[in-house]
Amino acid sequence: MASLKDKYCIVGVGETEYSRQSARSTRAMAVEAVRHAMLDAGLGSDGVDGMMSYQSGDSVFANWVAPDLGMRLNFYMDVFGGGSSTEALVGLAMGAIEAGMCHTVAIFRSMNGYSDFRIGGTGARAAQPVRGLDLAQVPFGMRSAGQNFAPTFMRHMYEYGTTSEQVAHVRVAHSKHASQNPKAFLKDRVTVAEVLASRWICKPLHLLDCCLETDNATALIVTSAERARDLRRKPVYVMGVAGRVNKPRTDFHWAHGPITRVAGYHAKDIVFDQAGITPDDVNVTGSYDAFTFTTMLQLEEFGFCPKGEGGRYVSSGIIELGGKRPNNTSGSHLCEGYTHGISMVIENVRQLRGQVDDYCPGWADGKHSYDYSPGKCRQVKDARITMNLGWAMPPTGSALIMRN
Amino acid sequence: MASVEYRGMNLVIPENDSEWREHFKLARTNHRLMLRSCKACGLMRYPPSHGCPWCMSLEWEWKAVSGGGHIYSYEVVHHAIQPGFKEWTPYAVVLVELDEQRGRPTPDEALRVIANLVTPDFRPEPEQNVAIGKRVRVVLQDLSADFALPQFTLTDEPPEGRVWRFPD
Repeated sequence: MASLKDKYCIVGVGETEYSRQSARSTRAMAVEAVRHAMLDAGLGSDGVDGMMSYQSGDSVFANWVAPDLGMRLNFYMDVFGGGSSTEALVGLAMGAIEAGMCHTVAIFRSMNGYSDFRIGGTGARAAQPVRGLDLAQVPFGMRSAGQNFAPTFMRHMYEYGTTSEQVAHVRVAHSKHASQNPKAFLKDRVTVAEVLASRWICKPLHLLDCCLETDNATALIVTSAERARDLRRKPVYVMGVAGRVNKPRTDFHWAHGPITRVAGYHAKDIVFDQAGITPDDVNVTGSYDAFTFTTMLQLEEFGFCPKGEGGRYVSSGIIELGGKRPNNTSGSHLCEGYTHGISMVIENVRQLRGQVDDYCPGWADGKHSYDYSPGKCRQVKDARITMNLGWAMPPTGSALIMRN
Repeated sequence: MASVEYRGMNLVIPENDSEWREHFKLARTNHRLMLRSCKACGLMRYPPSHGCPWCMSLEWEWKAVSGGGHIYSYEVVHHAIQPGFKEWTPYAVVLVELDEQRGRPTPDEALRVIANLVTPDFRPEPEQNVAIGKRVRVVLQDLSADFALPQFTLTDEPPEGRVWRFPD
């Protein structure tokens, strides 16, 4: 099959404010985020003719968003899903364009993830009856993402000696990055000791091992490399994409071990083969930090360190701004806001443009100080290749490699 | 439609839920943990599914397992999400590997079940007693005349391999 490497680009990105009280509909937020991404790309109503979104029965549909922006769509689709959807939808948008169904696709995720359908499982979600496959876990008080994932981390500790202290460094790094991000919901830097002293949520997870719940919409725009050349921003090229790759037995992944193996193990060959690179070539990673340890597990499975050494890798300083391969430079789900993964792709697009919106006065012109002390810069110097590691659950993941 | 209230949750099994409609009922009537077993290849599976994960056969029968196993992994919930679990905190959720079919059909596969680790009177087992490797056996908690919830309780058998719990 012909490679699509470098034939498609992300040309626009945008978002709303990250808050816990949006006081408006997912439709209103989606319209604002998609509009920001269109303005960022320099596209008007007739410049986008495809729209896709992902949701969990908690959000607006694409065909309700497009009319508010004067658009007539040639293609739209809303899929069911949370984490790992962004990367998959970028690939599907490329396919829709390649098939001639449309020429430019906006992808969004809009969620009142704190004020309405709380991602942690309380609020509107908690009142639902328990049925179907949920009967295998929910009756035992295992409902939230943290509760669903924690035994994977516990087993990793047992098999490899990974510690809470090691993965706390993920929170430390991401909080450092968030302190350079005017958009971040939590901007305070935290220490390892503060992570370990925070209260237990679901042992082995402390409060500060867990991500935020926020209200926000986020969007990006995919088009062909030919169209991208005429647009406002320097194009960011897709080198490889893998979408919602599974482990065996996704109905009940505990049945098929090792349970410390996650889907990235299967996704990595797909995406690295397409891109024609190895982990060593990647300058910036964007992992799915629903929890500190999910970042650790993904970096390990995608081959950034040997299996079992994720704890040492994330506590080595490599993943911090100023380190060899910074991870989640926006502060992401642990500190910036929770978006089901799309904000980490947006951040990497900005990194590759050299136009990260930090506190450097000249960021919009690509002028950065590379001073990573508090309240300063978060642009990675000479970022050439980024990689996003999407995660839905331990057995389902995605990946996206981009270059400038 | 079968429906039972448990810890503030509404557990619902419609008549057309062909995966689950017999599972908890059989646990209640037999007071054994019953799993689906493929008539073609003989392998058992959990949760109940229509097709065989290994040979695609749609022919299956219910088989009782011994109910013995060991804790393969676990977590201890301190912050309950469901209101009905708040009075139970901290409570352990255990991933139990059953004695039958370990390492089959491939070395990393096994029959594993999620449940709570409880005392014989169905209270949460204290956190300091929960550890990977400890032996357990199934206990059936009757919730109604046709619904029993399979839970696990500790036994005094020698452990399975290295015993490890999260450091205090």
